[in-house]
Amino acid sequence: MQLAKNLYNYRELLKSNVKKEIRGKYKGSFLGVLWSFVNPLLQVAVYAIVFPYIMRVQTDNYLIYLIIGIIPWTFFTTVINQGMITVRMNAGIIKKVYFPREILPISVALSGLVNFLISCIIILLFCIFGGVGLSWHLIFLPIIAIIQFILTLGIVFALSAINIYIKDTEYLIAFVINMLFYATPILYEATLFPEKIRWILYLNPMTQLIDAYRNIFLYHQVPDLNGFIYLVLVAVILFFLGLFIFRKLEKGFAEEV
Amino acid sequence: MSTKKEYAIKVDHVTKKFKIYYDKANTLKEQLVFWKSKSKVEERTVLDNINLEIKKGETVALVGTNGSGKSTLLKLMTKIIYPTKGKIITVGKLTSLLELGAGFHDDFTGRENIYFNASIFGLTKSEIDDKVDDIIAFSELGEFIDNPVRTYSSGMYMRLAFSVAINVNAEILLIDEILAVGDQHFQDKCFEKLEKLKHSDKTIVIVSHSLDSIRKLCDRAIWIKDGHIKMDGEANLVIDKYLEECK
Ligand SMILES: Nc1ncnc2c1ncn2[C@@H]1O[C@H](COP(=O)(O)OP(=O)(O)OP(=O)(O)O)[C@@H](O)[C@H]1O
Ligand SMILES: [Mg+2]
Repeated sequence: MQLAKNLYNYRELLKSNVKKEIRGKYKGSFLGVLWSFVNPLLQVAVYAIVFPYIMRVQTDNYLIYLIIGIIPWTFFTTVINQGMITVRMNAGIIKKVYFPREILPISVALSGLVNFLISCIIILLFCIFGGVGLSWHLIFLPIIAIIQFILTLGIVFALSAINIYIKDTEYLIAFVINMLFYATPILYEATLFPEKIRWILYLNPMTQLIDAYRNIFLYHQVPDLNGFIYLVLVAVILFFLGLFIFRKLEKGFAEEV
Repeated sequence: MSTKKEYAIKVDHVTKKFKIYYDKANTLKEQLVFWKSKSKVEERTVLDNINLEIKKGETVALVGTNGSGKSTLLKLMTKIIYPTKGKIITVGKLTSLLELGAGFHDDFTGRENIYFNASIFGLTKSEIDDKVDDIIAFSELGEFIDNPVRTYSSGMYMRLAFSVAINVNAEILLIDEILAVGDQHFQDKCFEKLEKLKHSDKTIVIVSHSLDSIRKLCDRAIWIKDGHIKMDGEANLVIDKYLEECK
């Protein structure tokens, strides 16, 4: 397959690009590293204080529940937000040299994945010191993270390419992501909704993903099998659809960007 | 043994048209509004049904007046842009030096850019490690190599770009014009190096307006005019004809 061959041949470029993405985020400073942890934590703190007042429902271990929602969500949104603009941001080199263009969105998604796995340390710390503890179910973590990676990459393939031709894709998607935040049980529990319409919530793959993360971190359960199969299907379909769109559009990048 | 050597680049019935937008509709709303009234788009045919075969080991020059499509043809060969019709096949690893810049990151140092640039050409870290000293030596940038490239002059930029491109051991080398910004000493050095490469089995395609250097360096020249190949043959012959018309 062309994709695998390109990635192998250009592995050095991929590596240095991922490094650049990560280094760029931290700006090389210790404070930068700290920030990427502090940011989701502050978010969590605000929600943890405010939300229980608004909603009367009590969730056990709400703080940990929240963190396991926010951190994967941050992984999802940072990759989408940065991935969407990555082709446009690299216009300079796209116009001057050939390299497999898919390296760009893949680098963003990979650096997001690395970042996420580091952030999981926060979740682990909260689980340990929050009295929830850890269990062997954590072996599912890499699998779920990789499914999320593939799913997000598929979306980013499509969006980064479309964004070159339709410039306000960026704004549209920023809006959609904001809406999606509330359509995903991050702050609240899915059981809040009557059983009859709850399935709608579960059409959203992010619901399935965060559910799976909560199962392994918080509830010490094997992820739900049906949900898992659905996730894999959606991820694979989105990945190939995204790649297909990217392949269709990439030939015009140098002229349109 | 067949006398026909295998080709390195094959340009097969290639047509390239550019869309000229006078008022580019880029947002969704504008695209919807302009859906029917496509009046603002004009097509310009830059290359019209070009057929060309460049054999392995040849050193070929592209000549033509400004705007005749030489750079466009090189970009097509590099796969930065794609033909409107027809196809281009290249055999072997290809490196290109198009105008200035060559894909550097301005905030990276010269040394970091060597790694970055060479990895864009598909080299691995250990391969670059082996070559980095040669590249720096060839560029003669001395201690500037550890300064960010945004502080470089255009000649220094070109020195670095050329040094990387020439040292990555590609089988096909495409060079557009950039030699012109080097000082006399470095230009001579580049041509010397190209001369050396010419006698290896490398394929070189060069665009240049310094016709005297082309006469010395190239066996074959291709003259592009009005989107067609006006003449293709022995470099001196083609250049003589070209000069005649330029008068
Ligand atoms: N992205 C583009 N969009 C529209 N027109 C373009 C684009 N790129 C090139 N052209 C047009 O294509 C023609 C050929 O351009 P090209 O850069 O290939 O010329 P050239 O032979 O390299 O000229 P020079 O000797 O000045 O470098 C020009 O008329 C130019 O206006
Ligand atoms: Mg040109």
